Order: sequence, then structure tokens, then C-alpha cells
Amino acid sequence: MKQVYRLFKSSYRIFWNDKVSVALTFIVPLVLMTIFGAVFGGSGSGPQGIRLAVLNQSTSPVAQSIVSSLDTIKTFSVIKSFKTDSGKTVIFDTLSIQQYVRDGKASAALVLPPDTYADTSVGLFVKFYYDPKNEMEMQTMRGLIQQVVFSQFPSVMAQSGLRQTEKYLGIKSGSAFNRNAASLIHKYFKVDTNVILHPNLSNFKIAGKDSAGGHANFLNNIVSIENQQLIGKEMKNPWATRSVGGWGVMFLMFTLTATSSSLFDERRSGVLLRMLTSPVSRTQILWNKYIFNMSLGIIQLLFMFVFGWLMFQIDIFSNFLNLMLVIIAASVACTALGMLIAAFSQTRQQANGLGTLLILSMSSIGGAWFPTSFMPPTIQFFSKLTVVYWTIEGFMEVLWRGVGFMSILPHLSILLGIGAVFNIISVRQFRKGHIFD
Amino acid sequence: MINIQQITKKYGTVTALDAVSLEVQRQEFFGLLGPNGAGKTTLMNLLVGYFNPDSGTITIDGGSVTQDTLEIRKKIGFVPQSLSLYDELSAQENLEIFGQMFDIPQTLLKKRIEEQLHAVELYERRKDKVKTFSGGMKRRLNIIASLLHDPKVLLCDEPTVGVDPQSRNAIFDFLTSLNKQGMTIIYTTHYMEEAERLCSRIGIIDHGKIIALGTLDKLLEKLSYEETISIIKNPSTAKNRAAFEKFGTLLEEDNHYELKPADGFLLSKFFAAMEKQDIKYSWVELQRPTLEALFLQLTGRRLRD
Repeated sequence: MKQVYRLFKSSYRIFWNDKVSVALTFIVPLVLMTIFGAVFGGSGSGPQGIRLAVLNQSTSPVAQSIVSSLDTIKTFSVIKSFKTDSGKTVIFDTLSIQQYVRDGKASAALVLPPDTYADTSVGLFVKFYYDPKNEMEMQTMRGLIQQVVFSQFPSVMAQSGLRQTEKYLGIKSGSAFNRNAASLIHKYFKVDTNVILHPNLSNFKIAGKDSAGGHANFLNNIVSIENQQLIGKEMKNPWATRSVGGWGVMFLMFTLTATSSSLFDERRSGVLLRMLTSPVSRTQILWNKYIFNMSLGIIQLLFMFVFGWLMFQIDIFSNFLNLMLVIIAASVACTALGMLIAAFSQTRQQANGLGTLLILSMSSIGGAWFPTSFMPPTIQFFSKLTVVYWTIEGFMEVLWRGVGFMSILPHLSILLGIGAVFNIISVRQFRKGHIFD
Repeated sequence: MINIQQITKKYGTVTALDAVSLEVQRQEFFGLLGPNGAGKTTLMNLLVGYFNPDSGTITIDGGSVTQDTLEIRKKIGFVPQSLSLYDELSAQENLEIFGQMFDIPQTLLKKRIEEQLHAVELYERRKDKVKTFSGGMKRRLNIIASLLHDPKVLLCDEPTVGVDPQSRNAIFDFLTSLNKQGMTIIYTTHYMEEAERLCSRIGIIDHGKIIALGTLDKLLEKLSYEETISIIKNPSTAKNRAAFEKFGTLLEEDNHYELKPADGFLLSKFFAAMEKQDIKYSWVELQRPTLEALFLQLTGRRLRD
């Protein structure tokens, strides 16, 4: 038993001296738990700022009430107008709002048409145009919009009842019937007659999630939502098309961090010394690493997309040139990241630890695992500083939206810019020279 | 051929080389002998342009190592102390990779690889992965990987570390043959036997300074005595240590005592004393002085301390 105890103690001593193992054991899970916690748990969490375009063509107070409710929900960033090419701000119309969603400027659009709740209507009618490029985000949006729309149910029910009475008894008799009924309700249930005769949303409590969901079938007769998918209808496998970019860039980063860190193996084995004592300069060695890693990244991503095409029918050929441009830009940026990690690490183990921490963190906040809109605003800000975010967005633009070169130019520029900045820093760090010394 | 003038190299506060000057002639087999940490590897790294010196100049075949580094490297073959090979690749693949760095035409490279593999008796194993090789085979491959561009100078930084005696002899023979063919060789070691066996001229380095330089005979002339006396260690000799110490400085080695005779030492008196103590003649042996003894005399330490 003493020997077991001694071995046990020495195991801890060895573990504790291996700082990378300690970091991987405690820091990486801590960072990921924090990110997951911010996304899925805790008070005030949940998706925020999902862009929803709204067009209200109805004069009905119910429609106005729906728009007002949407304005108060922090999950949505409600957009009611857009800027034209000339810079003029214009209120949406039925065509421009759909184009706005098609262009990827909003995740969905809610149109409240003139007949949303017309004088003769029995129930509510709204139109919902959406781009399901992100399934999780879209399900959340639809749920919330249904909740808001169905919350008008009490008001609509009361008004519909009064209208039906007047329709079948005539205005005079119907009005008299309504007044009498209101008096009786007031007498026995102490409800203000004014509220009954002139129902308004503010007089009723908004239906909760459960009531909206639980009575959905019944309510569907009262509230009608016309859904129309604007993008990706023709996709054979929308899930795979949406996911391939996120997973692709994550594995790309793992590969390129590993190959960049091979410098450490070459140093340890003495091969780097042999290279550096042949007519090869340090710059040439770094260039070789960079070009090799970049080409390997391109091959890996291409391999994954071709596999996706064969297995899941992801359409990679209809916009192949632009897809290649994003693949190249992503490989440039990820290679530079891998070199940066290697440049700032002292050993292979350090590079692996730092790489794992950065890759998992960037994948989680960059949108590889769940939509960035599910994260708090602060994290959403940092998402946009990651290679993962811009790569995924680039792939989505090309594969999901099928856009042209000009639309992906910002993505390409940012990825190449990140690559250039990382390269400058890593070359400076390499010149300081702990790998070459 | 190689001219080193007043080279100083520091790592932080540690001075690895302190104003070292040295000249090595064409076709010379020059040995740099010194204990671990003496500055041998630093000097080799400076010669090959891996580092730049803090001060001083190095020229090889008329070119400055610091200014024409890449050109100079084409004239140098460097055998690093560590095995600088890709373990997962075959011997042939390793040689192809390292040969290509010297921009050797493909057909010529192929021919040289074949020749070198034959020279170190690795041709039959050329397609095997290096990780399957013995230590000696790896060392031989490590050497020929530095010879593919037909260098004028070969720098060997302790190329026999961890090698069995048989492989060591094979390496010595190979290096000697290269030197006979006209190659200038600088060979660092902390094994005096290697320096004595291989090198026509030897420099002894310690704490970053060359403390002795010359041919083996000239160096040994610096010793204050001409020979040492080796006495086998056994209970009888151990009991008589005091008697030996009357004749000089007695050093205790693993299996024997080494007596460095004092001034006025007479062999006849020594043997007479031994006879009195019942020490057998067969336990005593006269030996030629060694570099180890010179190092001890110069530094007060042994080479392997």
C-alpha cells in the first residue's frame, strides 16, 4: 500500500510539473463552461439581437401591438427601414423586405399585411419570410414570433365575438345584446364593461409560452401565420450545407496548428539544425512551413467539401470559384494562426495546449457549434474577431446564399487581413528566435 | 583554410567563447578536445554560421562566414552532435531531402547517395526506415548526410556519442579515408583517445579558451614528466597506497592507480620499493603520457569531470 501511495504521489508531482496538462485539465474546460454557460444558462442569457425585418401595413391596433411587443424583446433587433444604394433610408415594402432577407441582412422578416386584422376578420393573419441558414436560431425566432402573435388571442377572441354578434343580430340588436352581456359580466365577474365592449391588448395579460404552445391547434384557426422560406429551398441537405463550414474550419485549425508545431519536433530531432547549416535561411524555412501548411489546409478543406458533396449532396460546384476563394482565404488565416501559436510557444506541448484552448474557444464563440446570436453582446463582439466567424460566414454566403465575388469580398479581405497581421507578428517572434536557438 | 580571429560569444552573462583564435590548414585533421560545456559546440555552430559571434571574424576558404553564410555553407559539411535525421523516413529518403537543400542536380545526387551508402555499408538497408537502425548505423547515416554536396571542410561535432566500439572504429576509418582523400576535418570530442588516434593537430579548449594547441607530440612535451606508471588495483596494492605516493602524485581510477612521477624519480628505486612490499611486476606497467594527463596538469581537472 505504501508503494501505491508513493506512486500516487509521484504521479501528482509529474502531472503538476506538466503545466500544459494542468492547463488542459482545468483552464480549457473552465473557458468552455463559461462560454456554454453564457449561451445556454443563467439569468438574462439566451439569443440576443437576431435581426428581424418588420413591415406593418395594417392600421389595426392589434398589428401595432405585435410590433410594439417585438420591439421590447431583446432577442430581436427589429429593423423597419433600410438604406438604399444612394444612402437614403426607406421603409420596407413587401418586395424590399424579402430581398433584405435574401441578401442576408436579416435572418427573417415579419409582414403584417393590410388584412392582418381587418374589420371583417375572424382572426389574425401575418406573413413570415425566413432564411433558415441557422436552424437553431430560426427555431428560436419562430417560437418567439408565434408567442407574440398568439398573445393577441384574448383581444382578438373578444373582438371577434362582438363582431359575430353584431353580424348575426344586426348592429342595433347586436350592440344592445353586447351591452347587456357586458353588464351581466360586470355584475357577476366585476369586469369593466368598457374593457368588454372595447377590447384592447393592454387589458389582457400576454399569453405565456405554454398557453401559446398548448393550444396551438385551436389557435391556428384564429391566428394564421403564412411561412415562406426564401433561401435554401432547393438544398438537398440543408443541415450538411450549414454545418460543413464550421466543422471544416475547426479541423483545419487543429491540423495547421499541429503542422506548424512540427518545427519543435524538427528542432528536437536536430533536423532543423541540419537545415540551418545548409544553404537555407531561417526565412526560407518559415516560408516553406507557411506554403506547405497553406496548401495542406486547402487540400484538407477541399477534401471535406468533396466528401460532403459525395455523401450529403452539398452543392459545391454551382459557386465553385467563390468557394475556392473562401477556402484559400481561410487556409491563409488558419495557417497564420498556427504559425502564431508556434511562434509564441516554447515547446510542442505548449503549442498543443495553447492551440487547443484557442481553437475550442474560437470555435465556440465564432459560431462553429451554435449561432453567435445566442451569446451575450460582449461575446458577440469577440466572435467577429475570430477566424472561425469570418470563415463560416464566407462559406455560408457561398454555399447557402450562392453570392458572387463582391459579396464575399469583405469576408476575404478580413481573413486575408487577419492572416497578414498574424504573419507579421509571428515572423517578428520567430526572429527573436527561441525555436532557432 | 579556416581562420578564426578573436572570436567571443556570450549567452547572457555566460561567456561560451573568450577571444578564441585558431587556424586550420587545408587537408588537416584537427581535433578540438575539451570537457562538456567547454565551448566546442558553440565554436562549431559559429563556424557553420548558425550563430553570429559577438566579436571577431571567421573566414573559410577566403570567405567570411558571417557575411557570405549561405555560400560558405556549400563548402562545409556539418555533422551535428544530435542525430539529425527523419526517423520515419528511409535512409535514402533522408539523403534525398538533405541533398536537395544543396541544389545538387538530380542524377548527380542519386549517384552520390549510392556511393556514400556503399561507403558506410548501408546500401542494403537504404530503403529501411531510420527508426529501425542501430545507433551506429544512424551515426554513419548522420555523417554521410553531410557529405552529399562534396564539401571541402567537414565539421564533426562529437559524431560518435553513444556508439559501440565496433561502429566507432568504422567511423574512424571512414573519416580517416576522407581526410586522406583531401578533406579538411575539424573534429570535436571529449574522448582523448579519439583525438590521439585521429588528429594530426589538437587544440585543447576549456571554459571558452584554447589552453593548448599543437601536434600530439608537441602537446605531450608540455607535461612535466615523460611517462606515467599504471598499477592494477587489488587488495595488496590498495594496502600500499602510501608507499606509491612517496614517488609522485597518485590518482585512483576505476581499475587501476595512475602514478605521475615526481621530480628526480628513479625507476630502479621505485621497483625496489615495490619488491619490498610484495607487489608483483605484472601489476605495474609503464605508460606513455596522455592528453588526459596534460589536461589535468593544465586545469587541475579531468576531461570527463
